[in-house]
Amino acid sequence: MESLKLKKITALWVITILVLFLAAIVLGILMRLNQAEVINQEPLTFYTNMTTHGLTMIGIWFVAGMAAVNYLLQRYVKTSYTANLFAFILTVLGVVLLWLCTYLGKFNTGWTFLYPLPFKDLGAAPWATPLFLVALTILGLGWLVWSVSMMAKILQRYTLAQAFAWQHLSKQPKSETPPFILITMITLVGVIAALIAAVIVIVLFFAEYFSKGSFVNDALLMKNLIYFFGHTIANEMLYLGVAVIYEIFGELSGRPKWKTTWYVSLAWNSALIFILTAFFHHLYMDFVQPEGLQIIGQLASYLASLPSVAVTVFSIIVAIYGVRIQWSITNCLFFLGVIGWVIGGLGAVIDATISNNIVLHNTLWVPAHFHTYNAMGNVLFSLGFFYWFTTQHVSKLVISKLTKFALIVLIISGIGFLMAFYIGGADSIPRRYSTYPEALTTGPALARMGAYFACLYLLVILMFFYNIAKRCFAILSAPSSSVGA
Amino acid sequence: MKQDSILLFFCLLAITATIVFVWVFRSSIKAEERTPGIKNALQKRFWFLLILVVVFGIFASVTLPKSPYFAFAEEVPAKVIHVAALQFSFFLSEKSIDPKSPSGDNIELPLNKVVEFRVTSLDVNHGFAIYNPQMRIVTQTQAMPGYINRLRYKFTKPGIYHVLCLEYCGVGHPVMQTTFIVK
Amino acid sequence: MLRHFICTLFFSWSLIVFGYGAPANLDEEQNIYAQIYNAPIKLSPTQAQVSLADIYNRKPMLLAFVFTRCTGVCSPFLLQLNETLRQISGKYLYQVVVLSFDPRDDVEAMQSLSTRLHLEKSTQWIFATTDSITALNLSLGFDPIWDSSTNQFDHEALLVGVNTQGYITKKLLGIRGDLELRQMLASINNAYIPSYRLPADNDLFSCFTYDPTTGKNIPNLGLLIIALPALVSFLLLVCIAFFSRNKAAKWTE
Repeated sequence: MESLKLKKITALWVITILVLFLAAIVLGILMRLNQAEVINQEPLTFYTNMTTHGLTMIGIWFVAGMAAVNYLLQRYVKTSYTANLFAFILTVLGVVLLWLCTYLGKFNTGWTFLYPLPFKDLGAAPWATPLFLVALTILGLGWLVWSVSMMAKILQRYTLAQAFAWQHLSKQPKSETPPFILITMITLVGVIAALIAAVIVIVLFFAEYFSKGSFVNDALLMKNLIYFFGHTIANEMLYLGVAVIYEIFGELSGRPKWKTTWYVSLAWNSALIFILTAFFHHLYMDFVQPEGLQIIGQLASYLASLPSVAVTVFSIIVAIYGVRIQWSITNCLFFLGVIGWVIGGLGAVIDATISNNIVLHNTLWVPAHFHTYNAMGNVLFSLGFFYWFTTQHVSKLVISKLTKFALIVLIISGIGFLMAFYIGGADSIPRRYSTYPEALTTGPALARMGAYFACLYLLVILMFFYNIAKRCFAILSAPSSSVGA
Repeated sequence: MKQDSILLFFCLLAITATIVFVWVFRSSIKAEERTPGIKNALQKRFWFLLILVVVFGIFASVTLPKSPYFAFAEEVPAKVIHVAALQFSFFLSEKSIDPKSPSGDNIELPLNKVVEFRVTSLDVNHGFAIYNPQMRIVTQTQAMPGYINRLRYKFTKPGIYHVLCLEYCGVGHPVMQTTFIVK
Repeated sequence: MLRHFICTLFFSWSLIVFGYGAPANLDEEQNIYAQIYNAPIKLSPTQAQVSLADIYNRKPMLLAFVFTRCTGVCSPFLLQLNETLRQISGKYLYQVVVLSFDPRDDVEAMQSLSTRLHLEKSTQWIFATTDSITALNLSLGFDPIWDSSTNQFDHEALLVGVNTQGYITKKLLGIRGDLELRQMLASINNAYIPSYRLPADNDLFSCFTYDPTTGKNIPNLGLLIIALPALVSFLLLVCIAFFSRNKAAKWTE
């Protein structure tokens, strides 16, 4: 009975996420079309679209990872249905308020809402900024309760040392921690830290808002905190997806489940520490930030990603190389997603190097790399999970000719859409420009290329959406007896 | 340009990664039933990790000294240009800028001499990116309210340079630009 | 160690709260990195004139402008400067040149001023006059105005930092705190600060204050706030682990 409830709420998450995903892709395409001068939007419209696109995408893929992890966590511990439902209600409420802010209130600071921009005249309604902060508070509260509840449930079953797989660092571990638990724990700590940073940011914003000028914030501190929140949550949501791969890739391929070893434990524990300081790389061009923190930023950016990526990639290679496995749609999406993750990670490491950042910072190189590991990485992890979740059986995940074709189109569209960003980045085209000044000659052409390939991407996602949503509705409408525990 | 070599480097890495993955995928497709897979995977993984760490260690130690914060720190600049960014324009001046009534001049900078920009913002966060006559970024810093960033650079090519804002600062963000001449 | 850290935090916090750094005067940004006018100066009645370059080429220089008949800021300015410099024991080289901008002052008057301040024996302090004060003032953007009704110059206390190549690296107007003085000492020694903070009156939580003497940033309350999310989440983690311990034991049974 409990498991049916969990299944239904997860199905609800999946449908909500996919609907919002389609809407957010359309916003993205509109932005690229406007930059391409194919359509002509007011700058205010462009920037409200941009703000909505960014906030929605980060929000939905974070909760996608959380919902997937929550679902799979049931295999090990009994999770709280209430916390899950609470998070769902608050997420929906928060997203509705955010969309109200951007579309009714014309709030347009971008998802980074860098202080003091939200307090300046934005051409937005006067209530937009406080409502935005309220929406953030609601989202943050829902997610904080959800992550803390999951963490508490894990810690009821495992000791602190076990949850972080520290016993695997010794030669003969007495007990075993599944990699899924390890990665989930590591990620939850980071998520909670990011959400606490968000709480502090919101408090400081409100303090200034209500003090009416007798208290002002420090722009450097606010920027640090905003990126602590923003970077960390965007990074951790990837790890949620990776945790899912560790859990189900093996069984989907008809192979043994992946095990925790000393280097898996070491790699993820180092990710836990370093991810909390990697966000400094967003402030490389703020020379006011002490040099020491900048160097920590570069090293932490390497150390947070490198071991975890290396270990995961090697695990997947070992699981596949020279082994005949069952290639299902989920496995294929996971495999493609890992490639996207690695390539996006390479782009990220290049940008996280200070001496490169000086010519790449805030150019299209930035959306280039994060779209690589999101649109062609994390999204595919989650879609893979959605497919598996809605069928619950490998035999229903066989790849048809149409699916194979769709996957090929997905790859082509991804490469085209992302190359437009990468070339633009190398060509010093700035990000977040509604239209390009005349001097930036290649900007519009690249935007057109990006927009058309993104339309292709949208088509593939529509097909996936149809397949997944159909089954989700079946789960939702199923009477409690017909869906087995 | 530096950007071209970065793009090339990235493409090479991406293609290499793709080839490895495709090769692994094909080996799985072609494999017979019930093959054991990689032997001694554990040892290989260890070496794989070690090599990666060493490669990145070298990469970090080569790139870190090239960080821009202390560029031309030993030299005395030939000229100081004060920069105030304000939604949605830049004021460049050889004199310091009054925040209450900012004004700028037409700037002409010497070739092959160190120039220092003292960049601040009078309202929100802005970017201060210098584009060469071919419209490629040569250097940049951020303009943060309450702080002054000192950016030093030696221009080696004459021509008209553009300054673009690279931090989203409101709806006028894409029109926020100015130019100066180097000769 | 922790106590030291907390003290530093509190100290730097109080500096900010009590508005330690006076608001930067815009005139201070004028003439920066301009070459100072190489005026001939007279150090004593017996010696011949030397050029200012002879002085600053030897050692980076703080140039203080006063006049001996001043009933206003000049004496407290020099006293305070002397006091502050004595407190700063840093790695940076400097010498102080006190120059009169009043043409009526002669070397003897300057020498008696140094005696009054008990600085006549100091090797780091030089008192001098010049006959090219107009050209020197022009190169510094300094403009004292003679007020014949009071028989005084209407002027601000001016301290100019000059490096050994004769470039003006920093200017301070008025009597200023040790932090800015240390920044000036750093600048005349060509220590490069990539950035500096403008003073703000009602800004509680800044992250750092740059200490030019050590070249390090002193952590402020803001830094603690940046570290707070990580600290709180780890604390939360330990707390949850602690309170779930009993239940965990039941599971393993």
